[in-house]
Amino acid sequence: MSQSEIEFTYNDQKITAVAGQSVGAALLAVNIRSLRLSRFNQNKRGIFCGIGVCFDCLVVINGVANQRACIIEAKNGMNVQTQVGSNA
Amino acid sequence: MKNPDAIVIGAGVVGACSALALTNAGLKVLVIDRGPVASGTTGAGEGNILVSDKEPGAELTLAMRSRDAWFELDTDIGGGFELEAKGGIVVSRSEKGISNLKRLATLQKSSGVETIELDRNGLQKIEPYLSADVEYGVLYPKDAQCQPMLAAAQIMRAVKKRGGVFVQGENVIKVNSNHNSVTGISTDKNSYISPIVINATGTWAGEIAKMANSYLPIMPRRGFILVTSPAPKLIHHKVYDADYVANVASGQADLQSSAVVEGTASGTILIGASRERVGFNGELDVAILRQLARQAISLFPILSNVQLLRAYRGFRPYAPDHLPVIGEDALISGLWHAAGHEGAGIGLAPATGELITSQITGQSPFMDPSPFSPKRFQGSEYVAV
Amino acid sequence: MHNVVIVGAGPAGLSAAIAAAAAGAPVLLIDSNPRMGGQYWRMAADSLENQIDQHYDLETGLLLINAVKARKEIEVWSNAQIWSATHKDGVNTLRIIHQDNEKIVNTKNLIICTGAYDRTLPFPGWDTPGVMTPGAVQSLLKGHAVLAGKRIVVAGSGPFLLPVATGVLKAGGEIVELIEANKPIRWLKSFAAMLENLHKINEGYYYLKTISTGKVRPRFGYAVVRAYKADNDELDSVDIAKIDRNFNIRKIKNIKCDVAAIGWGFTADTSLAGSLGCKQIVAEDDGVVIWADDKQQTSVTGIFVAGEITGIGGSELSMAEGVIAGISAAKFVGCKVEIKKAHIKRRAKKQRFATALIRAYPIKSGWKSWLTGESIICRCEEVDLNDLKHAITELGATDSRTAKLFTRCGMGLCQGRICGRSVVDLVADNLEISPTDIDRIAAVNRPIITPIPLGVLAAGE
Repeated sequence: MSQSEIEFTYNDQKITAVAGQSVGAALLAVNIRSLRLSRFNQNKRGIFCGIGVCFDCLVVINGVANQRACIIEAKNGMNVQTQVGSNA
Repeated sequence: MKNPDAIVIGAGVVGACSALALTNAGLKVLVIDRGPVASGTTGAGEGNILVSDKEPGAELTLAMRSRDAWFELDTDIGGGFELEAKGGIVVSRSEKGISNLKRLATLQKSSGVETIELDRNGLQKIEPYLSADVEYGVLYPKDAQCQPMLAAAQIMRAVKKRGGVFVQGENVIKVNSNHNSVTGISTDKNSYISPIVINATGTWAGEIAKMANSYLPIMPRRGFILVTSPAPKLIHHKVYDADYVANVASGQADLQSSAVVEGTASGTILIGASRERVGFNGELDVAILRQLARQAISLFPILSNVQLLRAYRGFRPYAPDHLPVIGEDALISGLWHAAGHEGAGIGLAPATGELITSQITGQSPFMDPSPFSPKRFQGSEYVAV
Repeated sequence: MHNVVIVGAGPAGLSAAIAAAAAGAPVLLIDSNPRMGGQYWRMAADSLENQIDQHYDLETGLLLINAVKARKEIEVWSNAQIWSATHKDGVNTLRIIHQDNEKIVNTKNLIICTGAYDRTLPFPGWDTPGVMTPGAVQSLLKGHAVLAGKRIVVAGSGPFLLPVATGVLKAGGEIVELIEANKPIRWLKSFAAMLENLHKINEGYYYLKTISTGKVRPRFGYAVVRAYKADNDELDSVDIAKIDRNFNIRKIKNIKCDVAAIGWGFTADTSLAGSLGCKQIVAEDDGVVIWADDKQQTSVTGIFVAGEITGIGGSELSMAEGVIAGISAAKFVGCKVEIKKAHIKRRAKKQRFATALIRAYPIKSGWKSWLTGESIICRCEEVDLNDLKHAITELGATDSRTAKLFTRCGMGLCQGRICGRSVVDLVADNLEISPTDIDRIAAVNRPIITPIPLGVLAAGE
C-alpha cells in the first residue's frame, strides 16, 4: 500500500482508495453504485448530485446513518455499510 | 350555496369537525377560509389527541369523549390521516414531579382515565431507548396521534361529499347582524346569508368576535416543534416530562418548555413543545431549539446523532382561564364560538363539533357545556398579556 | 474580529475576498468544501496526482486560490457548513458546523456567494442508480479522479453539458450520446452578446473539437425521457426522444448505458441569504435568486451577494460581481476604495452574455408529459405524481405548499432542493394555473439550512 492509499470496509468488503477521495467515489471506482435502499419502496439508490445537495447517496459510517457518501472523505479503517431505510 | 343553514369560518381541524357534525345532523353548511384547508394553527401542530395532560374536570370529560370520537370519525370517513393509538407516557425525574404525577394519575383514574404506573424496568421494556435514569412514569394507553393537516383535509373532503361547500381565499371582513342576531357574513369578495355563524378561527377568533361587535379574549401563544430526519422506530409512544403538564396551565409569559418526544408514521421524530407569549412574532429562536434538543436528548440519549431537519412554529390560541371557548356568543345570538383550544385543538376538535351541533340543533349534549361558554368572560376585564 | 465575512469560495467568493483584502479589509472566508475553488474549479486532494486536467481555465482558478492563500488578511475556514443564520438589529449571526463543533460568527458585513447546483427534472426511472447530474460526473472526475461509468449518456440542456462530455472523453471514458434539448439556432437571437464575448465561442469550439475527436456527434432537439433498470436494479438503458419545441415527445429510441448524466441548467442556492431576510425574486428562467443593487448589495444593508445566487450567469459574471461585492463591502467597513467604471462595464458585458444563455436554453413545459402517475417526484420521501394529484383533487390542495404538507413531497433530507422547483410547476399544472412568485419563493424557504445533529445543536450556546 503506497503512502497515499487508504483502506476501509464496505459491508465487510475491503476497499482501497486514494487519500482525498470521497467514500462514494472510492466505491464507484470499484463499480459499487447502489449505496442504500429507500425507506418505503426499498429501491436501490446511488450517487445523484455528487456535491452533497440531494442526500441520496446515504450510507452508514461507523454506525451513524444518513452520511453522504459523495462528500465524506474516505479514511483508513472506516466501517461503511449500506443504509437500509433509515437504519443505523 | 346561496342560503346555507350555517356558515363555519375557518377550515382548521375545529372548523372541519364542526362542519362535519353539523352536516351529519342534516344542515347545509358553508365553510369559508382565507387560505387553504389547515393553513393556520392546525398545520403547525403535532396532532396530539391526549387525555393524559388534563386534570379532572370539564376539559378532561371533553377530551375523553373526543378521543373516542376521533376513532369513530376515522371509521365514518374512511381514515387517511395516520390516526394511531400509540399511547402516552408521562415521566418525571424529580421527587416533587413524581409525587405530583402520582397524585394527578390517581385523580384521573377516578375520573375513568386508564393509567398504568411503570417503574424503570417497566419503562425500559416498552421504551428501550429511554434514559436509564428515568425511574417513574405513567402510561396512558388512550393517548393517540394523527397527522393534523391530513385530518382536516379528509374531514373537509367528507363534508364536501355530504353536500357541504368549501369556499377558500375569501377574507371575512364583517359578521352581519340585525338586532343582535346574526344574519350572515361579508367577505372581501362576497356576502353570505345565514342565521348561524360558527367562529372556528382559532388564534384569530377575537378578531372575528370584534367584527360582530362582540368580544372574545383569545390570545396567541407561540410554540416551536423540531422535526428530525427520518429515523428507525426508536420511540414507540408519546413520551413527555411531567413538567409539560404544569406548563400548559402556566400563566408566565416567558419561555417554558419541557420535551415531548415521539415518532411519526413517516419516520421523523417530533420534539415539542415550547410555549411563549410573544404575540405573533415568528422569528426563529435558536435558544429554544437548543433547549428542546437538550431536553429530548436527556430523555432519549440516542437522539444525539439524529439530525434536526426542520423547525416550525405555530400560534396556539388560548383564553385567560386556559379552557376552550365552545358556545353561543354572550351578545350576538346565532354567533357561535369554537376556539381557544390552545395546544389541544386537534384532540378536542370532534367533541367540540358535537357540542356545538347539539346546542344548535337543540339536542341534549353529551356533557354540560356551560364551563366552555363564552358568557364566562362577561363583565370581567381580561387583558392580553 | 473580521471586518468582512464571505461565504463560498468559488469564482465569486474568491474574487470578492481578494478585492476586499486588497482594499485593506480583513476577511474571513467560509467554505463548505475541503478545498477552495467551488464547483467550477473543484480541486482534488494533492494525493490524487497524475490526474487529467479537467478544467478549461484552471490558470485563473489557481491564480485566485493562490492569491487568497498568499494574503495574510484572509483567513479561510474550509469544511465549514452553515446550518442556521439570523439577522437582528444589523448583525448577522452565522451558526457554523466546523470540525464537528459549532462556531458562531457575528458580522455586520457579509458577502454571500453560495453558488448553484444542477437543476434536474423528474422523469420515469430517474431514481435508478446510474442516473445522475452532469455536476456529479464532473465532481467525481475533478475532485476524486473517478470516471462515473463506462458508457455515459450526457443530456439535458445548457452549455455545461459540453465541458462534462469533454471531461469524460479526456479521462478515457466513452460518451454514447451527447444530447441537447434545444437547437443551436436560438443563439442567433443573441448575436450581439456573442460578438462581444468571442472568447466564449472559442471555449465552445474547444469543447466541440474535443468531442468530435472522440467521434461523438451531438444531437440537438432530443432528451432522455425514461430510464430502465437492469436485473441488478441499476441503470440498463434510457429512452432518447426526439422532442418538439415545447419538449413534447415525437419519436423514441432505446440506448444502452450505465450512466445517464442529465441536467437542465442550474438552481441558485439562496437558503442562507433567504434566512437573513434578503429579498428573493424570480428570474427569467423561473428560478429564485437574490435581488441586488448595482453595488451588489441586497435589500438588507451590509449584506452583499455575488455569483450564481444573483442569477445563473457562469464563472466570468460571478468573478465580475465578486470584485464589485468585495469593493462594496470593504467600502462599507470604511476602506477608501471605489468601484471603477471598468468593473461596471465588465459586469454588464458578462450579464448580457448570461441573459443570452438563459434565452438559448429554455426549459419548456412539455417535460411534464414524460411523467407517468407512478413516476417518483420527491426522491427523498418517494412521493409519486399520483400522490400529488390525489392531494389536489381529493384533499383540496390549492397551492404547492399545501400539496407538499399533505404528501411530504419536498420535506425530506434535501429539503426540496431537488424536487421543489418541479413540484411548484406540477401542482400549478394540475390546478391549471400559473405558479406565482410567492409559490416559488415559499418553496426555497429553509430556516434550517442544512441538517444538524441534535447533539451538536444541544451543545451550542
